[in-house]
Amino acid sequence: MKALCWTGVNELTVEDVPEPHLLNRQDALVKVTASSVCGSDLHLLDGYVPAMLAGDVLGHEFVGEVVEVGPDVKERRVGERVAVCSILGCGRCRYCREGLWSLCDNTNPNPGVQEKLNGHSSAGIFGYSHAMGGFAGSHAEYVRVPYADVNAFPVPENVPDSNAVFASDAVPTGWMGADLGQVGPGDVVAVWGCGGVGQMAALASLRMGAERVIAIDRFPERLGMAAAIGAEPLDYERADVLDALKEMTGGRGPDVCIEAVGMESHGTGPQYVYDRAKQAVRLQSDRGLALRQAVQACRKGGTVSVLGVYVGMVDKFPMGALMNKGLTMRGAQQHGHRYIPMILDRMSRGEIDASHLLTHPMRLDDGPEGYELFKRKLDGCVRAVFRP
Amino acid sequence: MAARVLRSRRPETVPWYAVTVEADPAALTGRDRPDLLARLAERHEIRISRAPGGRGTEIAVRTADGATREQVRALKQLLETGEVLRVEGQPEGRRTAFGRTAAPVIRHLTRRGPR
Repeated sequence: MKALCWTGVNELTVEDVPEPHLLNRQDALVKVTASSVCGSDLHLLDGYVPAMLAGDVLGHEFVGEVVEVGPDVKERRVGERVAVCSILGCGRCRYCREGLWSLCDNTNPNPGVQEKLNGHSSAGIFGYSHAMGGFAGSHAEYVRVPYADVNAFPVPENVPDSNAVFASDAVPTGWMGADLGQVGPGDVVAVWGCGGVGQMAALASLRMGAERVIAIDRFPERLGMAAAIGAEPLDYERADVLDALKEMTGGRGPDVCIEAVGMESHGTGPQYVYDRAKQAVRLQSDRGLALRQAVQACRKGGTVSVLGVYVGMVDKFPMGALMNKGLTMRGAQQHGHRYIPMILDRMSRGEIDASHLLTHPMRLDDGPEGYELFKRKLDGCVRAVFRP
Repeated sequence: MAARVLRSRRPETVPWYAVTVEADPAALTGRDRPDLLARLAERHEIRISRAPGGRGTEIAVRTADGATREQVRALKQLLETGEVLRVEGQPEGRRTAFGRTAAPVIRHLTRRGPR
């Protein structure tokens, strides 16, 4: 079958690879019908996530059809259309039982590096390096899904792939950002980053009753999409973000600051130059410009919710602001299983439509070009989605 | 000299590797305890205790060995989910000459950790 493989830093190739087969009794095989690029893939592509090997199959946000199930799969059936959570849970460990699915104890067979770096390992993720389990990704014709009963969710018939594909990652991740921030009626929420996840965090905040959502980015088309959702766009290249947020919130600062950017944050001014230089020579692994700004901007006693992916150390973290302003900071890879059934249900009822994110439907053969458009934000690309 | 100083600072005792399992301690201490646990107990000092707050059972194995840590995690996974997740045998593209050499090292490192 065809699959899009990482073959080196900023190098992708479509290759013929062997088809997957069931490796465990609770596995299912899914024929992929749509598989999206994701901003977090760019960290792999750019070589910032360790333990990638040339030949690894990328992709973690996808929908498809179940074509085979293992003997211990009880719920899923051959022929079902499913959205599969990008993060793998086992459904039985304490974390999964408590709804903290991305902290699953059992789905990362390769926990060694994380245990050393972070103290503990988190859950496995499709197509996200050997340190996150070494699972083959979804930019392929078929993908093997472990613990299929808990990781694959039936898609209602009236929800097209172009919407359902984002129930796999972008929508639940965004939803979790607002949920971790405990967004409620009357809140002012600021969201850094208007990619798929940031837009969905803005949407979720509004659905949870936020009175105002301010969406920060520099690309007009992304700011325009955020505005269409109901957020107020703020272009960080045209305004000083901290000054603007104070002015927009009567000096208080946003109640909840959602960071949907991650370790390759862009920005302006000397701090950005400093971050890029230190990351380039590997003196820091992660550029934390947006994160610092979120902490700085947040109102006293507010919450900073971190959705952007970080893998290691951020330099110059404003710990004094966090402590003295009494902030709460929360973050996680998505606990998608907690939200996906609700999201698919809302999609079915027309309450969530993420299909506008899909700016570039493409063939899997055009995968390298899709990532180039996505990475360079060319041609208004917000998400390229491959149809194998 | 420097090597001797470093060596003398290294702890003499073998560390414990511990996991908490969603299981009743009684199921892990009697005659019917899982085979994998019995095999680990033949070769290592093992401590099994009830976790606080009804949070299952703590299994601690005295080991500095990566292979044993892998077995302890497999035991936990087997007890909780009924199977040990496999990743070998999945689709992969062409490995470069470097990749073919590095793959076993990276897999070993990511699975068992650098120590």
